[in-house]
Amino acid sequence: MEDIELDLTGRLMADMDPRLLEFLRTKVNSFVKWDLVRFFHDNPHTTDTADNIARYAGRSLEIIRTELAELARAGVLEENQLGDMIVYSLAPNRQIRELLEQFVRASDDQQFRVKAIYHIIRGMQ
Amino acid sequence: MERVKTGIPGLDEMLWGGFLPQTANLVEGAPGTGKTTLGMQFIYHGIAACGEPGLILTFEEFPEQYYRDAASFGWDFHQMEREGKLRVIMTSPEVSKVDLERVGGRIERLVQEMGARRILVDSLSHFERLSTDSVRLRGIIYGFVNALKREGLTAVLTRESVALLGEAEEPDSGLAFLVDSYILLRYVEIESAVRKALLVLKMRGSNHDKGIRQFEITSRGVEVRAPFEGREGIMSGSPRRMMDSFVQAFVRR
Repeated sequence: MEDIELDLTGRLMADMDPRLLEFLRTKVNSFVKWDLVRFFHDNPHTTDTADNIARYAGRSLEIIRTELAELARAGVLEENQLGDMIVYSLAPNRQIRELLEQFVRASDDQQFRVKAIYHIIRGMQ
Repeated sequence: MERVKTGIPGLDEMLWGGFLPQTANLVEGAPGTGKTTLGMQFIYHGIAACGEPGLILTFEEFPEQYYRDAASFGWDFHQMEREGKLRVIMTSPEVSKVDLERVGGRIERLVQEMGARRILVDSLSHFERLSTDSVRLRGIIYGFVNALKREGLTAVLTRESVALLGEAEEPDSGLAFLVDSYILLRYVEIESAVRKALLVLKMRGSNHDKGIRQFEITSRGVEVRAPFEGREGIMSGSPRRMMDSFVQAFVRR
């Protein structure tokens, strides 16, 4: 009975644009990443170190550093060496930027947010 | 002589027509005096009236703050960004410094792509965390300012001063040598009301108005008004009537 309920919830929660579902499952799979992609969406010209981005986001550097690196590996951000610093900026990839725009717009909807939170928590377990 | 107009009523007259092209112009004042508004107006006027795209380099405020503040004066920065005439870049002094030192760095590419002619750097005070050594800090800012000029930009650089009212600290003489013009904004108390004063302290390569003018931030932005008349000690924050000073100085009690 419990399995059936879980399956039903899972199917209900998966009722979203498959591209956004994929984006959530493979790229924005934590709450910190959600904050970070929103930050880069709002500040698309920002190029900065993990240290400064942590400051802007009001998070600790230890948490931010790993998440930024993962977003860079996922192709959402770009990681570059600038002198002796490693800096992050939004990837210029047009598809990623469109997807990000779509994701941020969808996040304004409460139902979408509930579903997104469900997937992030499931992914973290 | 060619001038880069700020579009600020009264200020261009004080500057004898505007800033000189490809110069670094420091605007220093206490929080809330209007440094950023003055800088945004300079950028807005460049885009809207002179066809000169602009950049805003912010080291603290989020771009959204600029869009909001600009909108309150009727300046649509969002639209200007969409048209590719404006970029508000949130970054840090260390990153922008190294970026500008590189050939083909991000800021250099943006300047070329947009044809940017003006820049607001808000604020230079953040460079102070790069070094506690004043000589080294001066070297860092010197390099940064020269890189902006190299890119053909006319820059407004803001700097915070801590004094609100009363005896203000001495203007930073080290910085004063690095920039081409130096504008001071101050709060002054006159008859129990706080007003704002503006002084063009220096302008390299040009004459300028040496008077201390009142200014206000209106719904249209900064407007520089008439000089303070019949008062002295304006920049101290607590001006006296000249007559009072005369009496103090010459009349025996």
